[in-house]
Amino acid sequence: MSSKAQSSYNLNQARQTVQQLRLEARNERIKVSKASADLMNYCIECARTDPLLMGIPASENPFKEKKPCTIL
Amino acid sequence: MGEMEQLRKEAESLKDQITAARKAVQDSTLQEAAAGITVVGRIQMKTRKTLRGHLAKIYAMHWSTDSKLCVSASQDGKLIVWDSVTTNKVNAIPLKSSWVMTCAYAPSGNLVACGGLDNMCSIYNLKGKDGNVKVMRELAAHTGYLSCCRFISDTEIITSSGDCTCILWDIETGTQKTVFAGHQGDCMSLAVAPDFKFFISGACDFTAKLWDIREGTCRQTFGGHESDVNAIGFFPNGNAVITGSDDATCKLFDLRADQELITYQDSSIMCGVTSLAPSLSGRLILAGYDDFNVNIWDMLKAERVGVLAGHDNRVSCIGVSADGMACCTGSWDSFLKIWN
Repeated sequence: MSSKAQSSYNLNQARQTVQQLRLEARNERIKVSKASADLMNYCIECARTDPLLMGIPASENPFKEKKPCTIL
Repeated sequence: MGEMEQLRKEAESLKDQITAARKAVQDSTLQEAAAGITVVGRIQMKTRKTLRGHLAKIYAMHWSTDSKLCVSASQDGKLIVWDSVTTNKVNAIPLKSSWVMTCAYAPSGNLVACGGLDNMCSIYNLKGKDGNVKVMRELAAHTGYLSCCRFISDTEIITSSGDCTCILWDIETGTQKTVFAGHQGDCMSLAVAPDFKFFISGACDFTAKLWDIREGTCRQTFGGHESDVNAIGFFPNGNAVITGSDDATCKLFDLRADQELITYQDSSIMCGVTSLAPSLSGRLILAGYDDFNVNIWDMLKAERVGVLAGHDNRVSCIGVSADGMACCTGSWDSFLKIWN
């Protein structure tokens, strides 16, 4: 790129960067305490139905090899 | 003052404004909020299945929404669709280019996609009339490698690339709908929000960005990592983002508070994070590392609560099935393992 083209490219980049930052600066933000509480509540509410967290009983695990049983 | 200098000053001022606005809502920390919660007990998972068949490094895997089938991509030049329960290969698709870096399963189960150093995203129809799996579309426009791709539906897919952009494609016409530009480094991975309205991308500029799919705009940018962001995922309710980086840490960013809430790190872990996936409730974060292991983190307490050790080389990809019943890991050792 010629040096003139490079400076006009850099100028465009800078304009876009500022435009993007203006957008992001305007975002509404909630308090960290509320964000954290909501995350915690979600985890707690969904815990019981999280198989990797609770463990899966062998009889309900489609990936577990079924051991053969002998009937005595 | 020249315009360039003016713009530079305004950029600095805006960055300070954002930092101040983030600090202004920091009335607590996630650590403090979770102080009363006990750490999750030790998580021990076993390898239930080993999927053997690839002849070279596995670079990517993705579960089908049915929680039984999954697709994997290897630099042996094949995409394999597996039945994870029986370990049978449902499809073995030979690729034009063996330099594949990503693969994806469409939510419908009808299509799979892949791409890599060919700079293209190839779409394959698994449900063709004569039973043969053929290339349906080749999406070409990126000027860099394809690092990740995720379907929105059978007609739309999002790709991330080493050319620093992400693209939303119309699969039917094979054309670009929207180009998402803004990252200052290679885009390494992407994840679509549960409501399909947003997606997030992680890049080699050390940041993660949240994008509005329909508006085509970047809504938020998250910094803090000290190296490339290789892996990214949404917390299950869509309100937070988890990232994994070459700086050996994972981080949780809350979207509504617009900031990092916690970092998952340990002084004994010194290698990069390659991949990550949350468990169904989001309480566990499973992260794959360069040291051949997967570490399981308690998302709220930032403590390591388990390890999946079983691969003989780097864990390159990880996924938790939609019903949360199993975790699948893929490795440079050429095997996939199913754990629960």
